[in-house]
Amino acid sequence: MNFINYDKHTRRAFLRRTGQLALAGTATPFAINLAAIGEAAAFNATDYKALVCVFLLGGNDYGNTVVTYDDASYARYSSIRAAGAGAAAGGIVLPKAALAATTLLPTTALAEGRQYALHPNMTGLRKLFNDGAAAVQLNVGPLVAPLTRTEYFSGNTIKYPRPPKLFSHNDQQSVWQSSSPEGSTIGWGGNIGDLALSGNTNSLFTCISLAGNSVFLAGDTALQYQCSTVGAVKAQALSDNFFYEPQMRSAFAELIQQHSNHVLESTYNNVTRRAIAAEAQVSGGIGAVNLQTAFPSGNSLASQLKMVARLIGARTALGNKRQVFMVQLGGFDLHDNLVAKQPGQLRMVSDAMSAFYAATVELGVADKVTSFTASDFGRTLSSNGDGSDHGWGSHHFVVGGAVNGARFFGAAPPVSVGDTSAPDDQWHVGQGRLLPSTSVDQYAATLAQWFGVAPEELNGILPNLRNFGDAGGRPDYPTNLGFMKS
Amino acid sequence: MNSIDHDVMTPSEQPSLKPSALNDILPLAATLPPLSFAAGMAALLAACGGGDTAGDTAGDAVARLGSEAARAPYKAILGGDAQKSMRQAKAQAQARLPTPDELMNWAEKKFPAFFPGPEPTRNTDNYVFRYYATNGNYLAILGQDVYVLGPITENRVVNVGTLTVFAEAVAAELANAVVNTDAEAVRFLLQAQFSASEAEIAEVRQKGYANWLDEQQARPVTQLAWDWMVSTGYTAIDTHEFFFATYPGDSMAWYQLMGAPDSVRQRTALALSNFFVVSLDGVNDSMNWSSPGMAHYWDILQRNAFGNYRTLLEEITLSPAMGAYLNTRGNRKEDPASGRLPDENYAREVMQLFSIGLNQLNLDGSVKLDAAGASLESYTQIDVSNLARVFTGYDANKSFPRGVNPNPPNQTINNVEAARAPMVLDARQHSPLEKKFLGSTIPANTAGAESLRIALDTLYKHPNVGPFLGRQMIQRLVTSNPSAAYVSRVASAFNANRAGVRGDLGHMFRTILLDDEARNPAGLTSLTFGKLREPVLRIAQWARTFKLKPIAGFWKIFSGLRPGDATRSLSQSPLQAPSVFNFFRPGYVPPSTLLAASKATAPEFQIVNESTVNSYITHLQSIVGRGYYDNTPSVPYTVDKSIAPNWVPAVVPDYTTELAMAHDTSALVARLNLLLCAGQLSPATLTFITNALAIDRLRVDSNADFKQIHVARAIMFVMCSAEYLVQK
Repeated sequence: MNFINYDKHTRRAFLRRTGQLALAGTATPFAINLAAIGEAAAFNATDYKALVCVFLLGGNDYGNTVVTYDDASYARYSSIRAAGAGAAAGGIVLPKAALAATTLLPTTALAEGRQYALHPNMTGLRKLFNDGAAAVQLNVGPLVAPLTRTEYFSGNTIKYPRPPKLFSHNDQQSVWQSSSPEGSTIGWGGNIGDLALSGNTNSLFTCISLAGNSVFLAGDTALQYQCSTVGAVKAQALSDNFFYEPQMRSAFAELIQQHSNHVLESTYNNVTRRAIAAEAQVSGGIGAVNLQTAFPSGNSLASQLKMVARLIGARTALGNKRQVFMVQLGGFDLHDNLVAKQPGQLRMVSDAMSAFYAATVELGVADKVTSFTASDFGRTLSSNGDGSDHGWGSHHFVVGGAVNGARFFGAAPPVSVGDTSAPDDQWHVGQGRLLPSTSVDQYAATLAQWFGVAPEELNGILPNLRNFGDAGGRPDYPTNLGFMKS
Repeated sequence: MNSIDHDVMTPSEQPSLKPSALNDILPLAATLPPLSFAAGMAALLAACGGGDTAGDTAGDAVARLGSEAARAPYKAILGGDAQKSMRQAKAQAQARLPTPDELMNWAEKKFPAFFPGPEPTRNTDNYVFRYYATNGNYLAILGQDVYVLGPITENRVVNVGTLTVFAEAVAAELANAVVNTDAEAVRFLLQAQFSASEAEIAEVRQKGYANWLDEQQARPVTQLAWDWMVSTGYTAIDTHEFFFATYPGDSMAWYQLMGAPDSVRQRTALALSNFFVVSLDGVNDSMNWSSPGMAHYWDILQRNAFGNYRTLLEEITLSPAMGAYLNTRGNRKEDPASGRLPDENYAREVMQLFSIGLNQLNLDGSVKLDAAGASLESYTQIDVSNLARVFTGYDANKSFPRGVNPNPPNQTINNVEAARAPMVLDARQHSPLEKKFLGSTIPANTAGAESLRIALDTLYKHPNVGPFLGRQMIQRLVTSNPSAAYVSRVASAFNANRAGVRGDLGHMFRTILLDDEARNPAGLTSLTFGKLREPVLRIAQWARTFKLKPIAGFWKIFSGLRPGDATRSLSQSPLQAPSVFNFFRPGYVPPSTLLAASKATAPEFQIVNESTVNSYITHLQSIVGRGYYDNTPSVPYTVDKSIAPNWVPAVVPDYTTELAMAHDTSALVARLNLLLCAGQLSPATLTFITNALAIDRLRVDSNADFKQIHVARAIMFVMCSAEYLVQK
């Protein structure tokens, strides 16, 4: 196996082999030399496709999101999470009766009679699942290579490497998005964008974030363009009468975009220059899109996804054939008040993703747009009284018309917090922190292949993928998980 | 290396030190350094990759040291006259004792041939020392005594005197660091606090950096944020439901940044609040009186800003705001019957964020690596789970009588005192298990208070704290990518103050601000030095420079953090971080930039993007003329705009001085350049801005409104220019 040294792994190799690629963000954001990346033009797309990463900040509690439902495993779940005598009433258990309305009905039943229901508030996603427009990927999380519990606890991190800085919020966010901890500058969403740049008339709009600066959308060449939920933000003084005299207004515009030799000044003004150049185009593009689909109010994730839908609606005006988006919702780090606070969070996720799917139907691109969830990590299955603590693997959703819906992918982990050598205890690393049985690299590779990334390009995007699948000698960890229609 | 003919380690009036003279020098009644000094040197030599000088191997040197130690008394080299030393010591009793770092910095500057710095400060046993690999010399301090070792002393450990003897010379060097220009004074002021006034510039120039800063640090807290909160009426239980509101806390924080008189202390508290993060919204989720709770939290930061880290760490750990934010409040011991385990949140974050960080660090802040080149992590999940037991059994102090919300449904409301009383320990809910973490063991059945003491002592004494905290505070105040030597000096200052005490924050901040890397004009021409001013600092600077005042005492400042306010968001607000990971991380590297190519960190850029660069400009535009508007500036609470639809200036700047010179655009821009930019606008930019503003053709007899808009335009030009935004 070929392990990546995280401290040294900085940039992906596949674009660098073209030799002459400059960092587009430094000096000439709009002058990306498309000819230079010709070799990276993996797809000469004529159609449209988009990936939308829905990031749940703080580490969503998997145990109460995709809830184990068959009697045997529910009983174990309930026993583990009730937190016993003297605990807050009911511990952090969702009553079984409350789950009956949100049971998932897969087309193929899970092995060993395992069943799942979604949190009672996730009616929208439940409907999408049962209707075949959503799938659940079980127990996915960052891995360097397939890993067993015994290997994890061996302490031999050379022979059995694991992702750096496990259980740390900021680092695991970064690892999910880029395979490297905080300080990483290249994410796999951005790398996928790199390959798509040449197909887009305006390469800046290849990777668009509604979620602030996240490494996910930063590529070798692709930049992340930031759009707010109220559209492209403009500097008002550039168009109103604050400066009154046009000459003075132009001088102001020139000053705030001027080049500097100082690296921090230059970095700042580069962003300003991009912002000013893009604003009118984005505002014009989305201004012409009139969505009928209702998005829920008071739901910041829905506001972000609504803007994504509008940007997709403006894809022709903005000159885009391939796009990667990122949205996010905070508030999942529920060490306390899990039962009180997670329901509102999950309702927002479910409502927002359902509305977004409906909008893609309205726009006629339901099978061209795939949204998927990600989060820092899963959490413990055990209770700390009224919440759960940082974990590792988790269950995630993939939504869209191109998804092989109404199916579970990956293995249903045993419901266990035991620390013995029994088979049921082998899929967690203590307190029910799931040891992922599917890696983020496999998850991403599956999405990327649907998007149009050629198989030979995948290893350049996903540094650990070489340790999985046939090439990695682990056909039991396939590089295409099958949740996307081919 | 044998041609030593310079003064070394002696005040300038002392005779020269020559090797041949060593044996003639009277022995000073110095204590013999223990042999462990030699052992420490051995470790150091090994760490330095050999330290092989003049054909010597490390082993040889150590062996000889050992025999030296056995054979002969150490020689004092100072002055050759112990009596004179003693007299000098008496005469110099007035001068402040230099810290080991100050002394060694001074020595490096005075005697570069012997001590070619900068070298990082190191510690072994009780010695603080530096090693100069190029010539094999050591300079060390043990307690009050200063030692030299190496070719310079024919490889003998020589006591060259006490810190007292050098106090005057070092102090003179520090105090006499001449503040050459107004711009230099402003540069210092803008790092030490928020803004600069003419009076402050004059004061710094007259007193020098060190004296001025010492005076500022010595000033007591002018007014506790808590007391301000009480005086403003925000602690009353009435129909305005302040107990549920976050705007009093917002108002409090902005008052501290914009209005409180002790601005060096406030600036430091702001820097600390970026490290010990608690967020008002997060606290408001789970406690009554989140605003007074955050006022008290701010008070902990400002009271301890120049105090000791250990005290600060304990106070924040037990503070109601932190308890609510990171869940120590209500955290109970494990319950084997049900499988319930302690909440790990605080245990994890106090290590990751508030003390030691994820990686084992060298003194200079670099990450220690294992043989395979991977970073060595500071702790594991097992440490977290064990430390979590320490923070069990705590809850809010519920002994205060509770009140009732006068509004329906008339809930019971906690007493506001519970928002500042330290959390209390319920021994029955404290984990009795053994707690093993970071190499410490707290035996089973140790009482809660003792467990806490041991745990916090363990964190406090961890060698990571100095470089981890120190580097981040340098980033907050001076530069995003400090040199390793700078971090070393600051970490050393954390590790030992003048009296050898660990964790003296005042001393650490003093070291940050007086350091040559902060003060040296070389930073002004470097293409990488400095940091992006965080948006809160820009606005606080604007506010203090132009004497912003609320018309009725309520600091109703709009920062626009809600997504819907994106068009004029400041994208940052004090005590309002989106998570305990703050608005930006110390390790943030902006992707797709030159900084990414060199892996250079630029934390503040984490909130710079196409939305926020423009929204800042619009935010500034909206306030620069007449300040922040509100619909009810005269009442402490907020009123719905359907009831009070008219917005009027509520917190307003005073541009008297600027208006008087508005017709003289060159003078106006020069003033803004000095006060806002420490004179750091380039001549080309000054000319550019002056020419642009000349388009207004403002005259002495132009009307007041025109003058006002002209001043506002001038400030917009300056405060939106990259040369302003990057503080150098």
